[in-house]
Amino acid sequence: MHSVTLYHWEPNANSGKPMLALMEKGVAFNSHYLDLLSFDQHKPEYLAINPQGTIPAMLHGQRVLTESTAIMEYVDEVFEGPRLMPADPRDRWRVRWWMKFMDQWLAPSFSMIGWKVFVGPAVRSRDPQELQAAVERIPLPERRVAWRKAITGEFGAEELAESQRRVALGIRMLEEELAKRPWLASPQFSLADINGFNLAYALPVAQPALSNDELTPNILRWLRTVYARPATKACWAMGRTSMVKRVTILEQPHIGADRPA
Amino acid sequence: MSMTLYHGEPNGPSLTVLATLFAKEVQAELVALDLARGERHGLAWAQEPAVAMSVEGEGPVLVADGEAMADSVFIACYLDDIGQGAALRPADPYGRWETMTWCRQIIERTAPAAAYLGCRAHPPRADAALLQRLGSVDLRARWEQVMSGNFSEDHLSDSRTKIRQAVEKIEKRLDGRQWLMGTFSIADIESYAWLAGMVALVPDAFAGRPRATAWLERVKGQPALGRALSLSRRADPAAVWSVGPEINRWG
Repeated sequence: MHSVTLYHWEPNANSGKPMLALMEKGVAFNSHYLDLLSFDQHKPEYLAINPQGTIPAMLHGQRVLTESTAIMEYVDEVFEGPRLMPADPRDRWRVRWWMKFMDQWLAPSFSMIGWKVFVGPAVRSRDPQELQAAVERIPLPERRVAWRKAITGEFGAEELAESQRRVALGIRMLEEELAKRPWLASPQFSLADINGFNLAYALPVAQPALSNDELTPNILRWLRTVYARPATKACWAMGRTSMVKRVTILEQPHIGADRPA
Repeated sequence: MSMTLYHGEPNGPSLTVLATLFAKEVQAELVALDLARGERHGLAWAQEPAVAMSVEGEGPVLVADGEAMADSVFIACYLDDIGQGAALRPADPYGRWETMTWCRQIIERTAPAAAYLGCRAHPPRADAALLQRLGSVDLRARWEQVMSGNFSEDHLSDSRTKIRQAVEKIEKRLDGRQWLMGTFSIADIESYAWLAGMVALVPDAFAGRPRATAWLERVKGQPALGRALSLSRRADPAAVWSVGPEINRWG
């Protein structure tokens, strides 16, 4: 038994952030996989660990930590291993700015589209009464609304268009930022890269008309460089769903604008 | 290093940065802006992504060696790193995790609610030509909503609930302690900055909350807060609001 237990879903979005941070630091952990599509995160066993029913959560000794971005900063500070926050205070500010921008502005738009395309269809075949009961168990009202929309597919055209606008703008901003330096927010690899990779690893699959080697060469260079790191490879190998396997597109040496979607 | 802080009235995000700057004795040129008139969008740095796309809305901008920085809690962390005197975050990693998650809750849940209620009670009025220069489509939409006076009952009611929840959480947290993180920290400054103006707008949130009420006075009594509040050009800086962060649009 290790001193750290991570309750997580796939190496994707919020779950993947502490997974990859721990693996970059070389910290061994007990992996406790929660199947989001079976609503494991709202079952009593998990609510006893994290009453809010959000994933991921990290148990370190007797302490329970939540909020994936804050967990990453904790992991970086408390464990030995390569530093994942830059030493320069202004670089640290930039890392945090980008993580907040992604967490609060860009990721919810990616997620709305992802839930419509992947999560909604994946759970819709379940028994409606079972689904209803599962939704009723969700502790946070905002998450209840999100799940209802995902299950019924009732996203308004306007809110989807707004999410797509944000995704397109976010991609342009990432491309411009990654044209300035090798990594997203600082001269060294940092938590912002871990955060960003979790958001964008499947970008050329999910948004082929907006992200490819012709339109966003810096994003593609960056994604391939992060994917080539041993920790990233090991982390994504823990994935079980087709959603996460999309990462293998980064093994292609060239992803053109004209490829079939 | 040369630094300039462009700030609004000492309330909300501008108060967080001003109070931290003074607590850490960091030297910076101070330039007062009327954020309630959208004056931030007249700055030379207005189109920089960090400023134009700041999730915080109309917050202060700190320019350090030519780089424009926004988002008050992270500017506060920066000032805590470079400044003098007592640290404004706990020394141990778990305490710092608590500080960051606490501030995240304030940023994500309390701040949008406070700004929504504050803007309804004390509407900001920006120059139309200035608003055309806004780099963010969604920030402009929030300005248009606020200036139209069209506030949804659902959002108002949800915002009051979020203020009550924040005060309740503070009341619980202060059981047996003077400050939210044990010692005076960025969490106290940030929480005070968004809640000071709510005493008048959601009075029931503070009723029967003796610890939170005493804590408000304690934070206000800190010399750095006093110095920041003394910069106000209005009778009551807690009654000056500009457009804040957006209310969560998706889970």
